[in-house]
Amino acid sequence: MSVLTAAPTEIYESGDSALRVVALAEASEDNWLTVHRLADWLESCGAEGLHGAVPTYDSVLVEFDPVLVSARQVRAFVKLGLLEMGRSDGSAAAPRAFDVPVVYGGEFGPDLENVAAYQGISTEEVIRLHTEKTYTVRCLGAPAGSPMMDGPAFPKPVPRLKDPRLSVPAGAVAVAGRQAVIAPASAPGGWCVIGQTPLTVLNIRREPLVPYKPGDILRFRSIEAGEFDSYVGQELEPRP
Amino acid sequence: MSGHIFIQQPGNAVVTDLGRFRGPRFGLPVNGALDQYSARAANILAGNLDNDPLVEITALDFRMKANSDILIAVTGAPLTLTVGGRPCTQWEPVSVRAGETVAIRGINRGLRAYLAIHGSVEAPMLLGSCAPDTVVGFGLQLKEGTTLLTRRSVGPVRQPYFDLPLFRLGLERPSMGQQLMVDVTDGPDVAEFGGSAELLFTSEYAVSGRSNHIGLRLGGELPERTSSGEVLSRGVPVGAVEVPSREELLVLHRGRGVTAGYPVLAVVTSNGLDVLAQARPGDKVHFRKTTVAEATSAHRRSRAQLETLRESVNTVFGLLGIGCRPQWQDLPVAACS
Repeated sequence: MSVLTAAPTEIYESGDSALRVVALAEASEDNWLTVHRLADWLESCGAEGLHGAVPTYDSVLVEFDPVLVSARQVRAFVKLGLLEMGRSDGSAAAPRAFDVPVVYGGEFGPDLENVAAYQGISTEEVIRLHTEKTYTVRCLGAPAGSPMMDGPAFPKPVPRLKDPRLSVPAGAVAVAGRQAVIAPASAPGGWCVIGQTPLTVLNIRREPLVPYKPGDILRFRSIEAGEFDSYVGQELEPRP
Repeated sequence: MSGHIFIQQPGNAVVTDLGRFRGPRFGLPVNGALDQYSARAANILAGNLDNDPLVEITALDFRMKANSDILIAVTGAPLTLTVGGRPCTQWEPVSVRAGETVAIRGINRGLRAYLAIHGSVEAPMLLGSCAPDTVVGFGLQLKEGTTLLTRRSVGPVRQPYFDLPLFRLGLERPSMGQQLMVDVTDGPDVAEFGGSAELLFTSEYAVSGRSNHIGLRLGGELPERTSSGEVLSRGVPVGAVEVPSREELLVLHRGRGVTAGYPVLAVVTSNGLDVLAQARPGDKVHFRKTTVAEATSAHRRSRAQLETLRESVNTVFGLLGIGCRPQWQDLPVAACS
């Protein structure tokens, strides 16, 4: 994963303590690499007053302390970062792979049947499409460091729930739009839950709190409801 | 010398600090004291560092007592503060003798108060912050009988001359009431709302009871998104103003999920977020447009005030022999010989 030239970008004001940098290349992969490289550079550049950077798919939110630096100064840091990252050799840590057992449907995946009906395919086909893909973790999102991924090859984007759930359990495996995710912690949610993994994803007594990072690879594997309990208590860990 | 604080009546109180600034990178909200000005002021008045753990008290009455002499400061929403039954002044350092009860009652204008204890208290940390995170289940929510370990004891501070008040620090206190003026700058997606974006500045909004540290929900005339289509999840700033439904405006505060897929209409300024931290359900909010440059200047002015306060407090505490640094009498004998 090497990028020698940053994608073209646009920088937007986002209040007195943040900027949004959006990458504008044709290829979404170039945009993703650009915003993650930029975030890494900003995190490590050591500039006083920068709190950090939140990269997602095509954008990065840069947060700062407006007493120590101004939005104009941070804009200059960002431009410098975009130049500097082009000079780096582009080597990044090799991605690690994670294997995620999932019980699909029933009480574990209450939206599986609706998703299948909306797509006009069988629930088995939904599971097949969801398990056959290798997913790249695009970014860590809400809640609690969720691994945000490009979704399976369904015929259509998946609409969000009209009435979001007040609570989705930890381990919920969900899809929405063209995205896929696992919920590391219980939280309200409007995504369609098609299954649940029995593995523990989030551990607040460990740093990092979640075991994967952007660029790592996930695969889902279908298990029987009867096997769920035998995995409970195990943590999600990279394949050796 | 350390001691203990016993929580007698917790109300709705947590131990927090200025926030988990490393959190957003890992998908965790920054969280921390919602009214940052009042929280900083409380810690400065107690002779602490701005980011030291302190108690955030939301809406409900609170009582505690200590088993050693301590020095406290209470800021934020106006309230009735008593120590051992004596009325005491907010926004000033207050001496508390061992065994005396500190009572905070009657928060009814504004919503959140801050209680800092000289030397601060012990609290568990996650990514460098003790701020509670309700989603991952981290933090110190105070309960009846909770014991906090204080890091330092302070003998009673008495005015030796006449009976004048000891401190007259004259800090500007935030105004609180049922009509709130909140400054915002244009959000990165303001163009998606077309001409309806102006409604934000001509309408009055009412704070809904479903508001919390994650976000405030406001009822009123709503700007409408003119474009449609899927929005990729993006990092959203604290203070983002969104229109997720046809019923309410959503203003994200420090507990916000770090990514979301709604366009950002406007962003509340740092000072404006402190105003919203004190908004009670039913209060009325007006938004006023400003620029990032203006908002930055305003925020720097209020922080400069806190720096002036810090100098005054350091001077007074230095004269009284109170301080975060060890005093000569605390040093081992060998160091003095």
